[in-house]
Amino acid sequence: MSHSDTIPLHPSSQSDIDEIENLINSHPSSVLPARPPSDARASIPISSAPIPSPAFIPSNLPPPTNPKTTPVPSVSSAAPKPPLPPRASEPGGNISASGFGSLPNTLTEPVWDTVKRDLSRIVSNLKLVVFPNPFREDPGKALRDWDLWGPFFFIVFLGLTLSWSASVKKSEVFAVAFALLAAGAVILTLNVLLLGGHIIFFQSLSLLGYCLFPLDVGALICMLKDNVVVKVVVVAVTLAWSSWAAYPFMSTAVNPRRKALALYPVLLMYVSVGFLIIAID
Amino acid sequence: MDLNPPAGENYGHPEICFFHVVFKAAALAFYMLSALFFDSFVIIFVVTVLLSALDFWVVKNVSGRILVGLRWWNEINEEGESVWKFECLDQESLARMNKKDSWLFWWTLYLTAVVWIFFGIFSLIRFQADYILVVGVCLILSIANIVGFTKCRKDAKKQLQAFATQNLTSRLSSTIQSAFTVV
Repeated sequence: MSHSDTIPLHPSSQSDIDEIENLINSHPSSVLPARPPSDARASIPISSAPIPSPAFIPSNLPPPTNPKTTPVPSVSSAAPKPPLPPRASEPGGNISASGFGSLPNTLTEPVWDTVKRDLSRIVSNLKLVVFPNPFREDPGKALRDWDLWGPFFFIVFLGLTLSWSASVKKSEVFAVAFALLAAGAVILTLNVLLLGGHIIFFQSLSLLGYCLFPLDVGALICMLKDNVVVKVVVVAVTLAWSSWAAYPFMSTAVNPRRKALALYPVLLMYVSVGFLIIAID
Repeated sequence: MDLNPPAGENYGHPEICFFHVVFKAAALAFYMLSALFFDSFVIIFVVTVLLSALDFWVVKNVSGRILVGLRWWNEINEEGESVWKFECLDQESLARMNKKDSWLFWWTLYLTAVVWIFFGIFSLIRFQADYILVVGVCLILSIANIVGFTKCRKDAKKQLQAFATQNLTSRLSSTIQSAFTVV
């Protein structure tokens, strides 16, 4: 779950958090403004040493550790980094600045800001994945900044809708729907990985969850309208929509000869959810 | 780790500590007591899992940063590979963190996972698959946070040694250099 927005820091509102963030990512050009006298912190050489020449770049700082491009947990150095070209190859560093910088003084503000940011990420992911987008640059690269909140809400919503529509055994319906969808997403991802495909586990989970959105809409309509014919039509349309949304990502992830092997289980899962929606009365 | 909070200090961020603890306690309490008040499993499931998810978000985004100065997240880089990032504050700020805050943070983190495992064993014995599902989801959320922050802390300790030695030599050379430039 990465943070991709940049909120400029206000030098006038220096709180503890802003100072911590500045300590992590300070440049020699942006020397910290006057701090409150009570926070007499031991300063790091780059911002407090009396450096007469602006071109002097202290070579004593620990060099920035570039994040490794292999899927191995990497540690980004938290010491201030000199403004060298490695900056360009470290989007993580910039993102961390904005992430920290979005926490001002009180507790309520950061909650709202972070919540708004997460909500907007959910909405943008949804638009990317589910809605027809002629400018989609590469369907295989959808959901770069994946998040699992969207899928979580959609699965719970689907379970709740199914449970509401059921007249008997409501708890079992909910539990079955939730377990089916959650386990199904994990198993489908493992299936692609075992077929020798190249996907990232959480990205795929996220995508399969987001593709449930049309089925959610279908389940809602079926809950409100109890006619069997309407249900079948609605479920068929939303099923086709879900499969269409999931298709590009899944098919680009595997060897073209194994496309059907990867896609068939996905369709099977969505079809079984569709049957669940129709059959519940 | 000691059982008692470090004495002679107050909490550095009492509201954040409160929020850190309240969602965990609410999820556990609701799970325990809901059987007395609610018939419907669906409500128990949704509310417990929702509280657990809220707690996960609060710990990861708010209390982790403020109470212990650690942060972890995942990114997908240009080549399309997943990279886990762990970040900690520099050593001066880490040393200045309130000891009581971090004691509370780590203790509640581990304790909730243990209590959920305990509940899970209970449900397993009673063969209640529904409740095992709830416990499973909450356990996954707690363990994700534990793993993330523990990895962060280990890396922070490793960095401490590296930074300490480098800092020493850097301060020496910077004082020497500033002495020369002043002349």
